[in-house]
Amino acid sequence: MTRKSLLALPVLLCLAASAALAGGALPIGATIPMADVKMKNVDGKELDLAEVKKPTGTLVVFTCNHCPFAKMWESRIVELGNTYAAKGIGVIAINANDPKVAKDDSFDVMQQRAKERGMQFPYVVDATSNLARAFGATKTPEAFLFDKEGKLVYHGAIDDNGQEPSKVENAYLKLALEAVLNGGDVPVKETKSIGCGIKFRS
Amino acid sequence: MSTIAALVLAVSAVLPPAPAPAPVPAPAGAEAILAEVRKPGAGAVLVNVWATWCAPCREEFPDLLHVARELAPKGLRLVLVSVDFPGAEAETTSFLTSQGVDFPTFLRTGKDEAFVDGLEPQWSGAIPATFLYDANGKLVRFWEGKASYPVIKKRAQKALDTKETR
Repeated sequence: MTRKSLLALPVLLCLAASAALAGGALPIGATIPMADVKMKNVDGKELDLAEVKKPTGTLVVFTCNHCPFAKMWESRIVELGNTYAAKGIGVIAINANDPKVAKDDSFDVMQQRAKERGMQFPYVVDATSNLARAFGATKTPEAFLFDKEGKLVYHGAIDDNGQEPSKVENAYLKLALEAVLNGGDVPVKETKSIGCGIKFRS
Repeated sequence: MSTIAALVLAVSAVLPPAPAPAPVPAPAGAEAILAEVRKPGAGAVLVNVWATWCAPCREEFPDLLHVARELAPKGLRLVLVSVDFPGAEAETTSFLTSQGVDFPTFLRTGKDEAFVDGLEPQWSGAIPATFLYDANGKLVRFWEGKASYPVIKKRAQKALDTKETR
């Protein structure tokens, strides 16, 4: 490392720290972080994001059991996940909440929920909450969609109406999934919704 | 007077009166909340976005109210915004009453994205979320997740110290 690059290092570290403090989510165009970290799935097996990643595209959804916002969108998350997993998209749901803070976010309840809802994709535990930190995820639910090249092309809400599915005007995630499948441009790349703050493990 | 009636009277004389019911939160979008922030007279304004079912929000509530009561004489104004769902008005008002809230509060209306970005583009939408404005209505700090009494008080005090009251 040159002297110049050594001098630049603290500046880069400060920039990285300030991005994290500002709640900087993974930027559009970024690749999947921490893809080699094993996480426990509801079927008891361990898997990482590199195994979930598909050449067609990959959908990562941070969600949980207890949050009313996650529950509101839950059937839509499962329907989208099952539909697009069948079409070749790699799909995974991740629970990063500390069950000591939200007891309904325990592994047992995750297993029960995955079974009840008929999830045909993995629902795993982010046991350190570090995956959520690396993605810059702050709440549940929060979706990250990567295209066939493994680049982030959509981040945000499932759609624009959690409370009334019949009144959804913009099905953001579905439109993004269709674009990824068909090789088109994702129409809206970043959206927001109100959600439960992730109960990060300390 | 019967013995029972006398007993009831005696007990009610020593028990504190039941708190007055909190006002039902008024529906408001981001613009209405910001208008509340900019109302003249405050030395600083804390806006807290919460929900009855949000455990960290409920845990933080007494600390927020404690700070608001202590610093109200110095000009701090607290604006509470519930994101509870329609139909939960009774539960929301009941919680506010249990916390001794006796001032007007708000219930978020409209779509999520318009509300989140309208209030503050830096906000991801996670709750609880707290926004601190100075006397000029300028955002000086915001945080997602709950904060403790000393942290909230220190931040609010700093905002009060930096500006003159409008």
